[in-house]
Amino acid sequence: MRASSGLLGRDLIARALIILVMVVALLFVLFPVYWMVITSLKLPREIFRVPSLWPQVFTAANYRILIEDKEFLVAIRNSFIVASSVTLISLVVASLAAYSMVRFRYRFKGLIGRLILFAYLTPTSLLFIPLSILIARLQLGNTLHGLIFVYLTFSLPVSTWMLQAYFAAVPRELEEQGMIDGLSRLGALFRIVLPLSAPGLAAVAIFTFTGAWNELLLALVLIHLRVAPHGAACPQLPHHERCLAVGPAHGRRSPILCPADDPLLRGAALYRAGHHAGSVKG
Amino acid sequence: LSAEAQQQLFAYALVLPVVLLLAGLVAYPLVYAVYVSFTNLVVGGTGQWIGFANFRYLAGSPVFASAIWNTIVLVVISDVFKLAIGLGLALLVSQKIPARGLFRSFLMLPWAMPAFVAFLTWRVLYQPIGGGFNLVLTKTGIYPEIVDWLGQRSTAMPAVIAASVWRGFPFWFISILAALQNIPTELYEAARMDGANAWQRFRAVTWPGIKRVVIITTLLSSIWTANSFESVWLLTQGGPSDATMVFPVWPISACRRSALGRLPLSLLPCSPPCSFWSSSPRRSCRATRTSRMER
Repeated sequence: MRASSGLLGRDLIARALIILVMVVALLFVLFPVYWMVITSLKLPREIFRVPSLWPQVFTAANYRILIEDKEFLVAIRNSFIVASSVTLISLVVASLAAYSMVRFRYRFKGLIGRLILFAYLTPTSLLFIPLSILIARLQLGNTLHGLIFVYLTFSLPVSTWMLQAYFAAVPRELEEQGMIDGLSRLGALFRIVLPLSAPGLAAVAIFTFTGAWNELLLALVLIHLRVAPHGAACPQLPHHERCLAVGPAHGRRSPILCPADDPLLRGAALYRAGHHAGSVKG
Repeated sequence: LSAEAQQQLFAYALVLPVVLLLAGLVAYPLVYAVYVSFTNLVVGGTGQWIGFANFRYLAGSPVFASAIWNTIVLVVISDVFKLAIGLGLALLVSQKIPARGLFRSFLMLPWAMPAFVAFLTWRVLYQPIGGGFNLVLTKTGIYPEIVDWLGQRSTAMPAVIAASVWRGFPFWFISILAALQNIPTELYEAARMDGANAWQRFRAVTWPGIKRVVIITTLLSSIWTANSFESVWLLTQGGPSDATMVFPVWPISACRRSALGRLPLSLLPCSPPCSFWSSSPRRSCRATRTSRMER
């Protein structure tokens, strides 16, 4: 009797401890997010003069100012142009390369694989000075084209590596059958391998898009305010201290959060889906 | 042309675009950076060969020395915290706990957020006027005075580390959790039968099961933290008076007032992990692939 009630007591304490740890962890993780959201809903005077954990007056004014702000909209549009172009280009170029590396045997394959990996692991902070000189020489400084170009430095290696895994999961026999039916090699790639790797392609696309959308360092160095993707728009304002010091600018952050946030999570889901697709081997 | 040779040509033709683009956009700039480090090139000027003068300058530069030290401190301390928090929470989530799925998704939130959003948010939290932390500390009476977290030398680095841990621990958490879920439960049952206590079970079953993942995560996380530009740039820009100056931030903060040759050179210490990793492409490719996905 006593032993069992003692055990029950220990169980209760253990449960209470677990819940306590969970609460502390959630506070640590969620407080910054909460603060960001709540500040974006406050009036400027409330943000600084009487800071509080709960706004006295809720306002959507910050968001309205943001949406009416031409520069913000231009930044969002530029981000969109850059990120989707980078995604498109690297998907096409990387699928060709990944297909070649998965399906064929040739002499410099190992070397090329290493080069791609090395490129991926080379820090952007090491590259940005020579890259900015290169871009300036090509007369692409302060243009979206230049930015698209340099973003390939990180998007190409990752896409190639990731696509290799997806392509390798497509059974070779399917392709051979297709070629017996009269498809060329490229035809086999476009008609058989790519459609079968669709979830993988989507995952890579979302991943690349997010990476380009969030990039800051290169955009900061290569682009001046007028065409900056939104990642660079805020910290690059001439008095960017003030960017944080006014309500509207602070509200800036929440809407940015959403578009980049969702695809990533969805991408993770697709990644899992991709795994399943690959595992159904004839 | 034989069919075999034709196929070879075709294979090369397919990889060629990637090789050319990476040669032009990564290899060439890298070599150029090394060349520039031997010249006195400045923005808008033409450089002259000056031998090792830049290297000598850096060796004697106190900012460079503190950048080395700060980068090491940032990487080591934040990795230790990320490991502790990530491992602890992964162990917790692998137990039977209430609302597990929801809890897990909430924990991933910092990682799912774009870096610049995360660090700008932390910057607002640290503000002396209207900042969230000061509000909580003064309201609850834990610490009655207003602290300028990012503005004084003593607290700037811990503040940067805290933000970096917040943003980075979910990756550790999810990697370790995945490894934990691959450990067969029979092993735990067997250990329990043999009378192993919780600590012994951890040492004999859990740790061997997650060791590899912890090592790979440590390597990746160290590379990312050492090269992460956003965290320090958005929080302190390396200040106050270089207290948080790290490698990736130094060149851009010095960009306009220094000879270019000194800048890329300063970052060469960041690259050894690259060469180390490229020497084992197989293992690292798998690791990078999975981990980039988690991101």
